[in-house]
Amino acid sequence: MGHLDINVGKLKKNAFRYSKVRGETASRVRIPGGVIDAASLEKVVEIAEKYGNGVINLTNRQGIEIPGIDLEDMDKVNLELQPVIEALNINQTQENGGYPASGTRNIIACPGARLCPFGCYDTTAFAQKVDKEIFPNDRHVKVAFTGCSNDCAKVRMADYGIIGMTEPQYDPDRCVSCGQCVDFCRRRSVGALTLVNGKVVRDTQKCIGCGVCVVYCPTRAWTRSEEHYFRIVLLGRTGKRNPRLAEDFIKWADEESTLKIIKNGYAYIEEYIDPNAVEHKEHIGYIVDRTGFEKFKEYILKDVQLSPKAEVAQNIYWGGKHYDSF
Amino acid sequence: MSNAYIPFPSTILDVIKHTAQEYTFRMSYTGDVLPGQFFEVSIPKYGEAPISVSGIGDGYIDLTIRKVGRVTNEVFEHYVGQKMLIRGPYGNGFDTGLYLGEETVVVAGGTGVSPVRGVIDALSKGESRDNKYVIVGFKSPDDMLFKDDIKQWDDTLNLTLTVDRATEGYEGNVGLVTQYIQDLPLSDPKTAKAVVVGPPAMMHFTIIELKKKGFVDENITVSYERKMCCGLGKCGHCRIGDQYICLDGPVFQYDKAKELLD
Amino acid sequence: MGFVIPRAAFNQIIETLARRYRLYAPVRKKGAGRFLDTDVIMYDEVTTADEIVFDAKSDYAFKEALTPLSEVLFYFTEATTQEASFDNRPLLIFARSCDMHALKRLDQIFLENGPEDVFYQRRRELVNFVLMGCANSFDNCFCVSMGTNIAPDDYLFSVDLTAEGVACNVQDEAVAALFKAYGEETADVVPAHVTENKVKVNLPEQVPFSVRTDPLWDEYTVRCINCGRCNFVCPTCSCWSMQDIIYTDNGNVGERRRVGASCMVDGFTDVAGGGSYRKKNGERMRYKVLHKIYDHRQRFGINMCVGCGRCDDVCPEYISYSNIINKVYDASKEGE
Repeated sequence: MGHLDINVGKLKKNAFRYSKVRGETASRVRIPGGVIDAASLEKVVEIAEKYGNGVINLTNRQGIEIPGIDLEDMDKVNLELQPVIEALNINQTQENGGYPASGTRNIIACPGARLCPFGCYDTTAFAQKVDKEIFPNDRHVKVAFTGCSNDCAKVRMADYGIIGMTEPQYDPDRCVSCGQCVDFCRRRSVGALTLVNGKVVRDTQKCIGCGVCVVYCPTRAWTRSEEHYFRIVLLGRTGKRNPRLAEDFIKWADEESTLKIIKNGYAYIEEYIDPNAVEHKEHIGYIVDRTGFEKFKEYILKDVQLSPKAEVAQNIYWGGKHYDSF
Repeated sequence: MSNAYIPFPSTILDVIKHTAQEYTFRMSYTGDVLPGQFFEVSIPKYGEAPISVSGIGDGYIDLTIRKVGRVTNEVFEHYVGQKMLIRGPYGNGFDTGLYLGEETVVVAGGTGVSPVRGVIDALSKGESRDNKYVIVGFKSPDDMLFKDDIKQWDDTLNLTLTVDRATEGYEGNVGLVTQYIQDLPLSDPKTAKAVVVGPPAMMHFTIIELKKKGFVDENITVSYERKMCCGLGKCGHCRIGDQYICLDGPVFQYDKAKELLD
Repeated sequence: MGFVIPRAAFNQIIETLARRYRLYAPVRKKGAGRFLDTDVIMYDEVTTADEIVFDAKSDYAFKEALTPLSEVLFYFTEATTQEASFDNRPLLIFARSCDMHALKRLDQIFLENGPEDVFYQRRRELVNFVLMGCANSFDNCFCVSMGTNIAPDDYLFSVDLTAEGVACNVQDEAVAALFKAYGEETADVVPAHVTENKVKVNLPEQVPFSVRTDPLWDEYTVRCINCGRCNFVCPTCSCWSMQDIIYTDNGNVGERRRVGASCMVDGFTDVAGGGSYRKKNGERMRYKVLHKIYDHRQRFGINMCVGCGRCDDVCPEYISYSNIINKVYDASKEGE
């Protein structure tokens, strides 16, 4: 090995890892929404065998990391990655230049309505759509999509957590009061349904739009709303200072508004980020802790036309862990 | 076309209170009816409940009702002179003629006494009463129904009255109805007839005892209580196998009934 | 009388018929399935031919026209009982052979088992059929085994969409007059029917009592989730429950209605005081299956099941009813 002269900042921005093993790096293959075609995955395998040490890491955020790559092979790896980047439809700054890395993290999505019986929308498609809109971006932002309130994608740990909702439609003429929706809503969800006079009454305040009633109705008395709705939860995070779950911002939001809110957040970060932040990265939540939620809300709701159905939280109070004594 | 679902009004002529939970309502009714048949008693807005005929007289039927459901609770708020809506009678009922000349044992438990009260009455008024045996059981002395009738049956028939458990001051038999069967002084159990009505477990074990005693299936008659909802063979709730309890039952010969698996 | 007419002409005939009849046909309900973006084909009123789904089996059966899932029988006031009114315009139902056979079973329950059911009868009198031919068997169909692959004769006309046009065997004079306005009568048109299904069942002639307590049912105590979907999609399941409703908390006005019931769902056998029978799902499965292929036949001479396979289509637990029939057949052979 000759003298290594590596620009570490550039390396990181090219989606390579600064490794503890001197002379080595790892290639980070970002997979928006966690869905990759088999041919691309084969290509990843090929790179791992040819340039890496023959193993593949599956990352926490649905990406792949190929470890054990010689720092000198980065350009070759980038060339090999080109078909993968094209197949995944990644916004690229330079052809054959590999992945543009970012502060904004890979967008997570649960399998959603493509596979899951409870999915209320196509999580993968929405993740990919948002990916095209916000990548690449240096700011540290985490976006996650989950198909229903089960939150298998753990979106309450993200800055923007998007939870699918359906508004159950009820046809009393098809209801035989078998009680299964009431029972399953109680046992699998929030218990928003009751039988009154042989028909089902839905407590619209309690209902979280999970669609369990629709899944279990044997007569199609319950069906899904034509519109897809979303619950947007904000500013959950892990980390060393104050890890916490995201709190609810809007319920019954529409897709367009949801997309716009996520995009709007970047202008707020540019305006209020701590200029001395380490590596120019600061979780939005900590910025909001400084400016107050009102300011953030003002930015993210800019030009957003919510439907009358949407319910917006006036204020949000987060809890979580503070490492002050224990 | 007449609509079989439309109930007719019937006047409450008398209310006989047996226990806190069980009353007999004497209802005005003229028409054919047999012991063991049932009526759908309807309280508009509350629903219908199938109730066995527990007595038949000139211009009336008795309906003994237990306070156990939404409809039956409401029935208890009705008094003499008021009307209830009923429809029926439904089901086949008992053919009392089968037993009058024969050596016969009637075993009844709890509310199961209601459907056979008419049968026992017929036997107690029949000609040969010496070979008629009646075993009646209740959970406790407080649960006894038809006390006046029981006194009279004791005079006219070979009656065994028993309770599962005694209360203070009670001096009669204590034990399940099944334990009295082997001691019955029957002349020929192979030709004797039996009528068994009561809770499922009581019927099950009574029949075992009867067969041990020598009874044949064909001579045992049972009455099956099931969820009878329409009474007209339409709603399907009471069907067992190819039999509709509301049309073909509730009274069955045991050789047929034993083939009816819920 | 046979007619082969262009689709456009057929569409016009249907629109004309829609003025004489309420047309009741399988339609595609977009997004009405259990899962997102899944459709359901169920019966509904139509006014045009294009709404009718000819190329798929309906998920739910036509029976809802005769036995609605929820139906008011009477209205009560303090002192009066008034029979509920209903839509008494004549009805023209588009149905396949299996479903037309199912009608006979419904008739047996509602008209021949005890006194006639007025609420059924008043609708039944209005019913006419259009036979939808089956050029091919759909998934899970076993009509050939059940002997229901050839339709009964009492339809006004049949419909088969063919490459040459819409082929119809018209049996009703008034409808024939309509067809004649659009085309010449051709040689006989025979409605398409299936002669072989992929799924075949063996039907036991006698089911010995031992089969009712056979361990074969135990599997379903574990697998079946007693949701009752198999009953609600079945063209021959007709059980129902009575319900009384008060309109206001202390009001004197209310209604008595009946709603569909399922022998698989909890509560079907509940009696006042808390008793119930067939607590295990395997017992419920035995009760349902033997009714379909044996108990009904013992009483009425024909099998209740018409082999449409909708129960297999809908079962969320992938329980195959047709497979159970074959198990019952084998167990019956052993029990002989």
